[in-house]
Amino acid sequence: MRVVLKAGWRIAAGAVALAAMMGPALAQDVTTIRVLNWQPGGPDYWTQLVAAFEKANPDVKVELETVPFDRYPSVQGPYIATKSGPDVMENNAGLELFDRRSAYVQLPEDVLAAAGDLITYSGGCLNYDTTQPCYGLPFGYQGNVMYYNKTVLTEAGLDAANPPKTWDEMDAACTAVKAIGKTCLAHGMTGVFPAYWNFPEVARNFLTEDDMRAIMAGKLPWTDPKMVSILEAMASIGTTRGWINSSSPSISMLPDGADIFQSGNAAFASTIIADAVNWAAFGAALGDENVGAMSWPVLVADAPLAHSFSGTESSVFGVTPWSTKQEAAFKFVKFVAGVENANLLASVAGGISLNKNVDPNALPKSQALAQIQEIIKTPTLHVGVLLSGQEADALARGWQEVTLGTITVADWTAQMQTALEESPSKAQ
Amino acid sequence: MTQIHQSSSSGLTRAKKRRMRPELILGIALVVPGIALAVVFKLVPLVRAFILSLYHTRGFEEPKFAFLANYASMFKDPVFVTSFKNAALVFVTLPVWIFLPLVLALLIFQRSPGWKLFRAVYFLPYMIAPIVVGIMFRQILAPDGPLNAFLIFIGLAPLAIEWLNGATSALFSLTAVALWSFFGLGVLTYLSGLSTVPDEVIEAARLDGAGFWRLLIEIVTPLLKPVIGYWTVLCTSSMLIWMFPLIYALTRGGPGSATMLPEYLVFTTTFEFLNRGKGAAIGMALFVFAAIVSAFVVRRMYAEGKASK
Repeated sequence: MRVVLKAGWRIAAGAVALAAMMGPALAQDVTTIRVLNWQPGGPDYWTQLVAAFEKANPDVKVELETVPFDRYPSVQGPYIATKSGPDVMENNAGLELFDRRSAYVQLPEDVLAAAGDLITYSGGCLNYDTTQPCYGLPFGYQGNVMYYNKTVLTEAGLDAANPPKTWDEMDAACTAVKAIGKTCLAHGMTGVFPAYWNFPEVARNFLTEDDMRAIMAGKLPWTDPKMVSILEAMASIGTTRGWINSSSPSISMLPDGADIFQSGNAAFASTIIADAVNWAAFGAALGDENVGAMSWPVLVADAPLAHSFSGTESSVFGVTPWSTKQEAAFKFVKFVAGVENANLLASVAGGISLNKNVDPNALPKSQALAQIQEIIKTPTLHVGVLLSGQEADALARGWQEVTLGTITVADWTAQMQTALEESPSKAQ
Repeated sequence: MTQIHQSSSSGLTRAKKRRMRPELILGIALVVPGIALAVVFKLVPLVRAFILSLYHTRGFEEPKFAFLANYASMFKDPVFVTSFKNAALVFVTLPVWIFLPLVLALLIFQRSPGWKLFRAVYFLPYMIAPIVVGIMFRQILAPDGPLNAFLIFIGLAPLAIEWLNGATSALFSLTAVALWSFFGLGVLTYLSGLSTVPDEVIEAARLDGAGFWRLLIEIVTPLLKPVIGYWTVLCTSSMLIWMFPLIYALTRGGPGSATMLPEYLVFTTTFEFLNRGKGAAIGMALFVFAAIVSAFVVRRMYAEGKASK
């Protein structure tokens, strides 16, 4: 009996010692990856995304480093310059990603295979060409629309069921809206975005897709009459046409365009279809039944792309070359592009997923969203994401200066051309 | 005799040398850390920045030698020119930076009504991190922020402008916020200088009928010249190289390039456009500009110091 007891004690002691040794070993088996992001879709969606990923991949823990959208380049830049930092980074698709491609590992074949379920992923590949190296996978669809407040339109004596379809009709609508003491087009946000978002909507009236590809390659100078026409039209929004609020040119304006629209003091807002400031946020603030979505009015009726939607992958996720946990990091990138995340994006954030297998019933019901789903059916390239960082910055600063009357469109054109010549990504 | 003298003098020299050796070692020991720090954290980065400015860089790809191409590109860049014009405009406000804290310091020193309150609060703005100051004033100076609400409330609606939005008001607002944030240190500096001024001098001036401004200009200012000089150098460098957090939080250099200063341009060029070579070239230009301005101020300070002797 004593022998049995002794053996039992020995086994128990051995088990305890083994457990003590196994504990750290098990803990070490969990790899923690850091993901730099701006939380497109909002914090609730991201909490659920991380939980779902960790449930599906118990050997990987995700640590989020979330930076506001407008401050993202300022945080990401030093990481890239010092070759250190997160394992996974988010990036706008298109040229911004191509500019930073040395901060991303080329996607291996097995990860790229996950892109097969996506409607498009070319914005993560060099020069929008899926036969070239790809650096990140997208998950959502993005682009610009104008939202309108039906109550304000009715108050101004306008037909809320038929919002303006041309720039002339928009001029007339703005006159009516301003007459009741409200802002016509609520406009402005920290950073480069207002000009960056308006640009493709105006450019579609003057450019073909070939022109857009020439812009991407740096082969269409800003002094080209088409480009000058775009700048002139953009300038007129804040000057001769006077659609926007006077505070709009401020880089750090508070309240911003979305705040003004959500307060019910504006008829229109020009912003994006998904992510943080979308139909859901406006619907929550103004009542879903009061919010509509429309394409930007048309300026040149017979332009081939005037009635198209400037669409792009919202953002892509890629793995950094300095990461020592690339295997775990790629698991996250694949998950982001997968169907489970697509359903989360639709149901929690109300975002439009790129995954073909997304549950069609996952998206919430909303009239504005239904309008958006119609608008995106005729897509074209989003020329905004074809601008280099230098061009996007010069576009935003120049637009502010032109609107404030400190420079002319000719000066702005010259600044844009200088920015183009200074863009290393366009000099290849 | 001569031999005795020689041997005694050489013995003396040896003794002197023996005495000097520990002093020399102590002196070197005290100086070396300072020099080492200056070399490692000032000279080496400066030389490295200059070398980098001669290279064409793109992201973190291998830099290529480009000689003066970054400098040529820098001078061609209209934003670069604007940034230095803006820096010059900010520099023009230097007299206000020097004079305002001096006035407040003297008011506190001579115990004017309310001096206790000012003594308690004047240093507070300096203790708030500049980035927090920026965020705070971004709210205060917003078009419908508290400052404009107050101006409208007291009947000064025409003054309720878009402070951070105007082509000229933005730079003015930025400079004013920087001054608000920094002037507490100036008051402290001047108060420490004033504490060395004998009470009899102030008393005598008062007995002679000197009012506040006469006391300030004719008595205090000449007596505090070295302190004013020191503060001037500090302000000059602050204006040129310490405004970054305020620009970042308040205006991002906008609207347009209205508040773009060279130090912020270094940041955007290096970290947003990932052009480290050109960023380093702009940094070198800023270094030369700051060095010239500071040298001018320091020379003037010494010249005035010598003249007052």
